Amino acid sequence: MTTIQLPSPGAIPDTIEGRPASDNYLTHTRGILSWIFTLDHKRIGVMYMWSVLGAFLLGGTFALLLRTELLTPGPTITASADTYNQWFTLHGAIMVFLVIIPSIPAALGNIILPIMLGAKDVAFPRLNLFSYYLWVTGAVLCVVSLAMGGFDTGWTFYTPYSTTTTAGGVIPVLTAAFVLGFSSIFTGLNFIVTVHKLRPPGMTWFRMPLFLWAIYATAIIQVLATPVLGITLLLLIVERTVNIGIFNPSMGGDPVLYQHFFWFYSHPAVYIMILPAMGIISEIIAINSHRAIFGYRLIAFSSIAIAFFSFIVWGHHMFTSGQSALMNTLFSAISFSVAIPSAVKVFNWIATLYKGSVSLTTPMWYALSFLFLFTIGGLTGLHLATLSTDVHLHDTYFVVAHFHYVMMGSALIGMIGGLHHWWPKIFGRMYDERLGTIACWIIFIGFNVTFFTQFMLGSQGMPRRYYDYQPEFQVYHVISTIGSYIMAVGFTLTAISLFGSFFNGKKAPANPWGGRSLEWQCASPPPFDNFAKAPRVGDCYDFSVVHWDPKLGGYRVDESNDPEVNPAAQGTKAAH
Amino acid sequence: MTHQILAHTASQISALAAFAQTGAAEPTPPTFWMPVGASTISQGVDHTLDVINWICYVFFALVVGLTVWFVVKYRHRTGDKFRTDYPTHNTPLEITWSVIPTIIVIGIFVVGFRSYLDIYTAPKNAFDIKVTAQKWAWSFQYPNGALSDDLYIPAGRPVRLVLRSTDVLHSLYIPDFRVKRDIVPGRYTYAWFQCDFPTGQPGKTPRDPNAKVVSGPEDDAQAHTLFCTEYCGTGHSKMNRYVYVLDEASFGQWMTDQSQWMDKIPEEELYFKAGPKIFARCQQCHSLDGTVGIGPSWKGIIERVKAYPIVGDGKEYGTWEDYIRTSILVPGKYVVPTYGNVMPSFKGQLNDKAIDAVLGYMQQLEKFDTKTGKLKAEFDPATGIKK
Repeated sequence: MTTIQLPSPGAIPDTIEGRPASDNYLTHTRGILSWIFTLDHKRIGVMYMWSVLGAFLLGGTFALLLRTELLTPGPTITASADTYNQWFTLHGAIMVFLVIIPSIPAALGNIILPIMLGAKDVAFPRLNLFSYYLWVTGAVLCVVSLAMGGFDTGWTFYTPYSTTTTAGGVIPVLTAAFVLGFSSIFTGLNFIVTVHKLRPPGMTWFRMPLFLWAIYATAIIQVLATPVLGITLLLLIVERTVNIGIFNPSMGGDPVLYQHFFWFYSHPAVYIMILPAMGIISEIIAINSHRAIFGYRLIAFSSIAIAFFSFIVWGHHMFTSGQSALMNTLFSAISFSVAIPSAVKVFNWIATLYKGSVSLTTPMWYALSFLFLFTIGGLTGLHLATLSTDVHLHDTYFVVAHFHYVMMGSALIGMIGGLHHWWPKIFGRMYDERLGTIACWIIFIGFNVTFFTQFMLGSQGMPRRYYDYQPEFQVYHVISTIGSYIMAVGFTLTAISLFGSFFNGKKAPANPWGGRSLEWQCASPPPFDNFAKAPRVGDCYDFSVVHWDPKLGGYRVDESNDPEVNPAAQGTKAAH
Repeated sequence: MTHQILAHTASQISALAAFAQTGAAEPTPPTFWMPVGASTISQGVDHTLDVINWICYVFFALVVGLTVWFVVKYRHRTGDKFRTDYPTHNTPLEITWSVIPTIIVIGIFVVGFRSYLDIYTAPKNAFDIKVTAQKWAWSFQYPNGALSDDLYIPAGRPVRLVLRSTDVLHSLYIPDFRVKRDIVPGRYTYAWFQCDFPTGQPGKTPRDPNAKVVSGPEDDAQAHTLFCTEYCGTGHSKMNRYVYVLDEASFGQWMTDQSQWMDKIPEEELYFKAGPKIFARCQQCHSLDGTVGIGPSWKGIIERVKAYPIVGDGKEYGTWEDYIRTSILVPGKYVVPTYGNVMPSFKGQLNDKAIDAVLGYMQQLEKFDTKTGKLKAEFDPATGIKK
């Protein structure tokens, strides 16, 4: 028995007549082909999830190689600076294009968004599957690139280095990033249409859980910004293959133009990474505080505001590039505007804890880690948006530390938190929460040891992308490397706790954390077509109808007293 | 609290203004965050950083403090009843915490903008030094034609660097001066700074253990470090040199000596008096002990060149000297297939006399230390003959 019959009259039936109770999307059809050609958003999401986690393992391995090499100045584990340069390039490219950008929208978003919305699937299931295979093509092209001699351009592919380097794998990897861009565009397009068109009756815009708002804002950026990356990479390929001068000054091109194009995508891309994580954190914090999220509308609007501002701040990556002082000043001023909606979100999350009933579950520990790490990542953004301090800090380890706090400490920690949040829903199994929480703590400690050190390293003047360094920086590098090993232990424990759930995990109840949004009202794992009949949509942040049921080992949504759902119960809600 | 932050910000701004007027008496010592501050703008930058840091400390403490407090106070255990007395929104509060950060970031912008103007605008009387960056070396050219691999600047005078690159992007970064500027091929960019505090001069001023400026070559005078901070390939992390600040008189003397330093050396002494200095430029890529680096080792290079099929009677090159000379001036003309075509041309940087010095150096390699490239101790530095 993998599904649990909800006794309450308000719950949605999780079985369909004539179909066995154990029927769910994982068991509905069998065989490898039923996965390869599936059009089910949940299966596509699960395939994305394993693929992204595989890429994360690979990118993480390169990170450990980098950190180990930096234990001592000069050669440590490789005597070749070229090898080191390939490692950091691979680490960056894999983590950005194959892991963080697709991680939340394409993996968790695919699985959860339609169910949360109350839809049977995304708007374009075939496009969804196509987008997954584009991801696979991108990943394969990365491997082809390695076979052809790899690439040492840095993940930013700055010209003229990228068009003149002798490394053999540059064109395959540019093609990979181009293809991955389309994978991202299609996912975004799918989600925009799904949110606009497939909301069931009652799911108004301001009824949508904040995760949906975040994914929606993300999808807009994906669709509007990613084509710019596509055309830029294409121009780079053209320049490298047929020597048409677009960016290379020796052929009449302009390398700073490339930087404008690249950051016009890649700055919004930072918000493609962080916004979905913010959505997850809104969900985890509200559900584990068992109270209405504080300032719902302000959080929703701040997602849209961040998406908007993300398009007009790209120039802050180029304060030292030779851009004019006037441009620098304008970009600096606008960049600060991103700080405001970000700060507002943090304040709202904290206010949600106030007078809540805070359950310290494993996902909640990740959400609290996120709050801590995102605050540091966000605040250090002030140093980099400020003109005079950025001139000193630009292209040093300070920047490395800052974006790891945001991209890893926030986006990836949010992703891992979301994984723990929805794992029981996705696979119908509970993981060992004790082990999961310990792992979270170890990752948190390891992360800070690794990356906080790098703030000092950078502000003391250590440039980034250095294979060799001055001996006075060694103490910081050693501490940072130790931190990375601690993190590796933490992630290993996380993997043990999650995979262990397949072997000795309890069967998950439909609603283990006490959520109210629709995905918690269908079975764990969800049935093949999510909802037998259109679900009733209540206020997803009204937890007064959610009750702990010891018999289920989980929570039960009893809407019989909710006047919105059951008009006969008028007035009883207030007495609750 | 907000009031305090604003007051603090205001006091920092006035402190900034005060510093701009008076200047400091000595380099600011390194702190937890920042390295030695030795330029006229470094204190402005450091104060901006301090302002931002304090704002960060306060907000960080606020966020973490409230989070921990609420989590502990409102901790819930499974099965307990949920609290229901919570507020769902509070418009005045939400407006307040949108407006306060807005005011604060405007303040930070203004402080940062003011100190940026100082960084950006070079004074009119600045002393120009032309800088050429190439994979993976720096070349500094002074108004009298003198060339150097390390940067020498006069103390107490604004210096403007005119930057150009012959290949890919580079970036000039002197942390102690808080200066950074990308070097873009096909464009000229500028960086300027002024340092009022002389460092030592290699070969003339010994290290002072009490000096605030502590970096610099181990066996030489103190100096500030100069880095390349825009990724440029294999030798990127080795593309760093030193900055020596000399008082006005020594700087003039140094510049004159530097422009003529080879002229005074007799032809037969070139290899041991000029050779090691030139080699210091080459050792990023070439070794003396047979280790293969980015380029071939100089150990045994003459024999290897003579054995190449393209050198010798009736071939492209008549003599090994021709081949080496071409490799220095037109490096891409013939590249041994196991190496990349990455060597920059030294045309205009090494004249005939300097090339003669290199050729002589290669012929007498056994007299030189393979690590430092300098004459071994058993040879007399004045004559080059064994003591």
